[in-house]
Amino acid sequence: MTPAGAGFSWSAIARGLPYLLEGAGLTIMISAVAMVVAAVLGLALAALSQAPGRLARRLVAAYVEIFRNTPLLIQIFIVYFGLPQLGLKLSPFLSGLSALVFYAAAYNTEIFRAGLEAVPRGQLEAARSLGLSAPATLRWITVPQALRISFPALGNNLVSLVKNSSLVSTIGMVELMFVANDISFNNFRTFEIYGTTAVIYVLLVLGLTRLLRAAERRLLRAA
Amino acid sequence: MRRFVVFALLVALVVGLGPLVADAQSTLAEIKKRDKLIVGVKTDFPPFGSIDAAGKNVGFDVEVAYEFAKAMLGDPNKIELVSVTSGNRIPYLQSGKIDIIIATVTVTDERKQVVEFSDPYFLSGSLLLVPKASTVKGLDDLAGKTVAVVQGAIQDKDVEQLQPKANRIKFGKVSEAVLAVKGGRADAYAHDDVLVLTLVKENADVKAVGKPFMPRPYGIAVRKGDTDFIKWVNAELAKMKQDGTYDRLWKKYFADVESNLVKP
Repeated sequence: MTPAGAGFSWSAIARGLPYLLEGAGLTIMISAVAMVVAAVLGLALAALSQAPGRLARRLVAAYVEIFRNTPLLIQIFIVYFGLPQLGLKLSPFLSGLSALVFYAAAYNTEIFRAGLEAVPRGQLEAARSLGLSAPATLRWITVPQALRISFPALGNNLVSLVKNSSLVSTIGMVELMFVANDISFNNFRTFEIYGTTAVIYVLLVLGLTRLLRAAERRLLRAA
Repeated sequence: MRRFVVFALLVALVVGLGPLVADAQSTLAEIKKRDKLIVGVKTDFPPFGSIDAAGKNVGFDVEVAYEFAKAMLGDPNKIELVSVTSGNRIPYLQSGKIDIIIATVTVTDERKQVVEFSDPYFLSGSLLLVPKASTVKGLDDLAGKTVAVVQGAIQDKDVEQLQPKANRIKFGKVSEAVLAVKGGRADAYAHDDVLVLTLVKENADVKAVGKPFMPRPYGIAVRKGDTDFIKWVNAELAKMKQDGTYDRLWKKYFADVESNLVKP
């Protein structure tokens, strides 16, 4: 005799899919916003770490070490459950978003820092001797080259960010992972629902990597 | 394109293997052969299943699990306790990670279709946990308010049905739902009466309100179709009620909240 729960149910997938796609919408939204903000923040902090004087460099390093060396889940819980006790109550969306941003930006800072430091010194010296100011050198010479060098590593981190966004399901955000749990905890078709969810994540990430490749080609052509 | 084909083939392979997993037939024989009973219990649900200061599993359900191991294998310690939540306990059972769920499972029609339930061993309604200063007195006051529930627990649907104007926010664990109330993330948290009463005893900044709503029985669950095993469970439960074990456990765990409970 086969247990009634066994076998594969296409109808469970058909019933769950509209809800999963709705959840995927929030996953895309929170990931997209986090990606942009984390990229800008990462680049800004990496540039700051190149500033003369030790203080800026040390502050940036401290930020990176704190956010890179703690699990994202703890950061989400601190923002969502912890900060309200200190009087700062962000909405669930902003709590999840800010934790994702600070976590991903810590990695981005290191990625961009590596890119900035990989630009040959001669480029800098040449720019300065041509009379470009320090900010202009950064804007027109160093950053464009650093971006190209950093791009593959940045892409990896953005892919991680999409997958890490599943952790905001723990604070009641109705994104893809949350919906998957919600459906399978009620219809008990775990294989079908989590399997479908995995496929959706694969498709999301494939879409993102295509975009990144197009962007990278563009950057190279601009060079 | 080739990437998609490979991926589709992998999916097809795993789908094909699915039905081979978790054969319900021989759990009883398998436990005896293994000489160990693997039980899903809660670890965040006092007084049924929680972890004490020494890191040990304690609670009513946990003691029932030890009694079962003793009756089946002659030694209460021939047991492995696996921590489960309201959401994942039935998937754990279905996938063969555990032999049996003794974890405050409320008997519902949906669940009856996927697991085999024992005779009822407890009767629980639901109560609301609110901050001490709250003016909420019951479900009626929760229109437009945020109510925390645990994902997979029956209160998710109960609150949707009884107070459709409330905003439900769902968490994976009891501890997170309590934190949500304490941190002002939710105006109330709805869960089983006995749990709420025990949580209130342990947390001075919250209180229990309302009259227990929708009382329903708890059952012990095994895999669907495993009739031999569920018969054994029912016989063992009957024996525990007769020889006084059940009464002893009831007094040990529910004495101080007893006045609010319905004894089955």
